[in-house]
Amino acid sequence: MEKSSYQDVNAQVVQRCREGDNRAQYELYKLYSKAMFSVSMRITNDYAEAEDVLQEAFISAFKNLHTYKSEASFGSWLKRIVINASVNAVRKRRSELVPLEDRLAGDIADEEYDDDTEWQVEKVRKAIQRLPDGYRVVLSLYLLEGFDHAEIGEVLGISESTSKSQYSRAKKKLLEIMRDTHYVAKPRSI
Amino acid sequence: MEDRLKEFVNENREEFDVFEPRPELWQEICRQMPKAQEKPVTARKEAKVISINFGELLNFNADFMFMRVAASIILLLGCGLTLLLVKQNVPANTGATMAAATEQAALSQIAPELVEVEAYYTNQIKSKREELSDYDMKVLGLDEAKEIDLELARLDSSYTQLKTQLYTTPNTDQVMGAMIQNLQIRIEVLNRQLEVLKRIEQLKKEDITEPDYNETTTI
Repeated sequence: MEKSSYQDVNAQVVQRCREGDNRAQYELYKLYSKAMFSVSMRITNDYAEAEDVLQEAFISAFKNLHTYKSEASFGSWLKRIVINASVNAVRKRRSELVPLEDRLAGDIADEEYDDDTEWQVEKVRKAIQRLPDGYRVVLSLYLLEGFDHAEIGEVLGISESTSKSQYSRAKKKLLEIMRDTHYVAKPRSI
Repeated sequence: MEDRLKEFVNENREEFDVFEPRPELWQEICRQMPKAQEKPVTARKEAKVISINFGELLNFNADFMFMRVAASIILLLGCGLTLLLVKQNVPANTGATMAAATEQAALSQIAPELVEVEAYYTNQIKSKREELSDYDMKVLGLDEAKEIDLELARLDSSYTQLKTQLYTTPNTDQVMGAMIQNLQIRIEVLNRQLEVLKRIEQLKKEDITEPDYNETTTI
């Protein structure tokens, strides 16, 4: 219900963008830049790179607006572009997003949560930033961007089961990092 | 098993979006964007016949925000100029303003700024017309005066239409913008006609006969 009215509002602005209206483009930018920048930051983990990605993504979105059919919301369409551009940026600096030894899907022991651990957004977010690229990308896509493992596999060019096991490892590592910072007074620098 | 981490993130989804790009980034994006298609400009010909299609301009399909901005700028300019002229006590101008004020008592309630703007432009149009009538069309071998009059009459009728709209529509800004544009087009028409006449007169004086010197010499 909320979504449909939201889409209607966007549809009008998107139409104006198609006609080359700079003001409408700015409206969309204002509406989405923060969320999209955060998406890119989580994947690239680098401010300058995330900005490059955001710039590239918005330009490409405005140029290819005619390919956007209103079947999905504009936001999710744009997010796809941002995610693809971010993944490409990470790929450029690293040949492999998922290390070879991790590619074999294997059983990973279920992580144990410390029940007394009080999670805080800030702490989780910082811990995610400290994950190695391969873990961070899969974990961010799954947890925060709402991708399922099949979609992650598609974006990263890996199998669904690899994505699953990679996520499990990433989560385990994340909990380790959080546990570490829990006991160590000062978080170690990356 | 249920994923407590996923649950936690879902519950606090919004709070994870903490990063923001530099505000300058938009400018950089704009620089790299392909230039927006410019609206087709009405063909401007310096030829002897003034045949500019103003119908296109009268459609007023310009962007609403743009119209608002343009209208307010024009209003400010117009008001400023009118005030200036009134202060200088130009008799013709004050006369016109007063006539307009009595005629448009109702208008001043809906759009008080428009009264002054209208007076200013009407005055301008009047003086241009006087200037124009100083030229003897017949002597110059032109009988486009009829065409011009037709164009002006057309503009006049669409102006009246807009004015009636002003009373019924809630969107006064847009209608007012259109009205002002209408007045400006009239001045433009008169200006061009004057320009052409001036040039013809000059050429006649100089008695230049080479046809390829200027298009206007072919008259």
